[in-house]
Amino acid sequence: MIEINRISKSFAGKQAVKDLDLSVPDGKIFGFLGPNGAGKSTTIKMMTGILPIDEGSIIMNGIDVAKEPMKAKHQFGYVPDRSDIFLRLKGIEYLNFIADVFEVPKDIRKEKIEHLTKSFGIYEALNDHIQTYSHGMRQKIVVSGVLLHDPDVWILDEPLTGLDPKSSYTLKEMMRDHARRGKIVFFSTHVLEVVEQLCDEVAIINNGHVQFKGNMAEMRQQFKDDDNLEQLFLELTQNE
Amino acid sequence: MNKAWKLMRVMVKMQLSMANKSSMEIFGFVVIGLMMIPFGLLILFFIQGIIGNMYAALEPLGNEGVILGLLFVMMTFIFCFTSIGTVLSSFYFAEDVESFISLPFQPYQILFGKSAVPFLSLYGLNTILLLPSLVFYGLHSGAGALYYLLAIIVWALTPIIPFVLTAIVLMFIMRFANISKNKDRTKVLVGLLGFAFAIGINVLLRLDSGTGDVAEMLTQQNALLELVTKFFPTAYFSSIALTDIGSWTGAFYFLLFVALSLGAIVLFLTVGQKLYFKGVLGLSGGKRSEFDEEKVQKHVKQQSLLTSLWQKEMRIIFRTPTFFTQIVVQSLFFPVFLIIVMMLDPNGPLTGWGTQLSEIEGKKVILGMFGITVVTLGINPASFSSISRDGKSWFNHLYLPIPSSTVILSKLLVSFFMNFLSILLLSLASLIVLKVPFTIWLLWFVISLITGWVASIAGLMIDLYSPKLNWTDEREVFKGRFIGIVPLALEVAVFGIIIFILWNSGLEGIWTVSSVLILILFIITIISQYFLNRMVERKYYKIV
Repeated sequence: MIEINRISKSFAGKQAVKDLDLSVPDGKIFGFLGPNGAGKSTTIKMMTGILPIDEGSIIMNGIDVAKEPMKAKHQFGYVPDRSDIFLRLKGIEYLNFIADVFEVPKDIRKEKIEHLTKSFGIYEALNDHIQTYSHGMRQKIVVSGVLLHDPDVWILDEPLTGLDPKSSYTLKEMMRDHARRGKIVFFSTHVLEVVEQLCDEVAIINNGHVQFKGNMAEMRQQFKDDDNLEQLFLELTQNE
Repeated sequence: MNKAWKLMRVMVKMQLSMANKSSMEIFGFVVIGLMMIPFGLLILFFIQGIIGNMYAALEPLGNEGVILGLLFVMMTFIFCFTSIGTVLSSFYFAEDVESFISLPFQPYQILFGKSAVPFLSLYGLNTILLLPSLVFYGLHSGAGALYYLLAIIVWALTPIIPFVLTAIVLMFIMRFANISKNKDRTKVLVGLLGFAFAIGINVLLRLDSGTGDVAEMLTQQNALLELVTKFFPTAYFSSIALTDIGSWTGAFYFLLFVALSLGAIVLFLTVGQKLYFKGVLGLSGGKRSEFDEEKVQKHVKQQSLLTSLWQKEMRIIFRTPTFFTQIVVQSLFFPVFLIIVMMLDPNGPLTGWGTQLSEIEGKKVILGMFGITVVTLGINPASFSSISRDGKSWFNHLYLPIPSSTVILSKLLVSFFMNFLSILLLSLASLIVLKVPFTIWLLWFVISLITGWVASIAGLMIDLYSPKLNWTDEREVFKGRFIGIVPLALEVAVFGIIIFILWNSGLEGIWTVSSVLILILFIITIISQYFLNRMVERKYYKIV
């Protein structure tokens, strides 16, 4: 379970996130939506320890992210929104490095690397430098790295961007499977169709505030007049 | 051509803009600027002295043209040498190249724009070195207004030919480098060119120095000039143009020089039009290898986090052309250069020099060697780029469960390793060529290792204090960052005081002094380690 308790963050006087409250129960795929600059990435960065939290707290599976960062970081796997990282490493070197970080035993890492990269269709590229990968392949290698240590919580920032339909399908299936096993998938996206297909619950954030939180049915209930999600999204996030 | 001018203005603006610079960097520029004033005066003083003395000696023999000849040869060398780096960086390694290629520009137009910044840096050097030299020469020879007018034109044209020649050679090499299988490795090799050039010139001069009957040549007018400008006809032309003023020969060589310089520009743009894109297109790609399952499996192994981090850093340094040339080549250049020079001259004054060390007071030997080590290890690009090298990938250290102390330790070990390599090479040189006694070497070795560690900490702290993560081209990590000098200055100050105190202390004997020095170094290590740890606590998670 993820509990986000009234967190705030400001940069040089500008409030990026204000008193944000959220809780994500186990066994759910949670969609985190919002227009550009709404505070999605800032929130995710605070959840993952990249940004210090100004006020409030984030508890992940009972562990305070700010107080016990190392322990908390073992709970989740994070796919950042940028995949141009570690370009000079070979795919396999990157995966082995991540496995070293999470202390994955040799036989398990071998099996996992093979399984994950084969299902994403990048196994045969593992010996090449990540620099030579296409955007989608880079995304796949990062996702594979995150799943190596089988974390309870998946935090994915725009995970489907750049993936081909087959890999996109594979990842979505993996997300569903993960939630079915009682674990959490927390992901941000701009693609509304994905939210409709995939999410059990959603939160829509704008100007650093949560505008709406609930499941899909509740959302439709609240905005009966809107015939599609896009309309709804525009309505919720329009700036007064 | 109008388009080319516009392009050039945009490119110069982008590269020289101060908009993105932190106040610390601007402060750095100001400090450097102020430091340049006395330095510049010193250069002027030297130039004036050299030209004055040479003129007094050569003028009675009618060979004063040699002064200008030497001057132009020297400038050609300097311009070629500096152009290698700036041309490669501006034409090929800068990341903005690709964004210009997609716009509807002719290759020569892009090339024209891209030449502006390398050219401006040449004119900087040109103004500092050539301009005052020409003025001093004019003053000594009591030249008239015509000399100064011609000198200004010659001054303005001198950088063109060396720049064009270097650029064309590099365009040829890059054109073939680009079709080679491993582009990164080829880029590293081309980057090594500059260093090969420096060593090569040194070798050439050494091989050539014994020949020629200078005394005889002195009696013939301009014979000496012909000798020194043997390989540089343009230097000969411009020298004659400025010494034979008013004669038809002078006028002819002057016009020839002007025509050649203008022709060089046309040649440059024509060759560039044909070659430039062939070297640039696909530069950012890489090769895909044949899949080899065994190779993949070989990489799958469990190791400690520290080893894994260290390995990752080393791979990135050795595989990124800029990091390789700036860090590995730069740290090893001095020791390698020293060894090559000594090897070439097996019976030279330095060989066996170490044997004389036993005759000098032990204390002075150790303190002297320690002083040299401080300066050699002081500028370690691996240390002051520790954090900045990660660039936009830095945040990966933050969400992964890696303790900050492990990351910092791995980075310290990387820069220490670079120092260790220099120490090893210097050891080889001192033991085999200089024949330094074993005990002295051993003491120096231990002292150097500790100094290397302290130097690594100092560089890392400076980088941690003001890292540069927001770069788009790896060169920005080193270019225009003066922080590399800060750790050196700190070390020279701290260690300088220690050397001074020990030198003047009553302590005698090589063992006593070394023991005291090692003890002091240990204390400094512990203190700096303590401050580093505190800084990591305060800064590490705030670097974004």
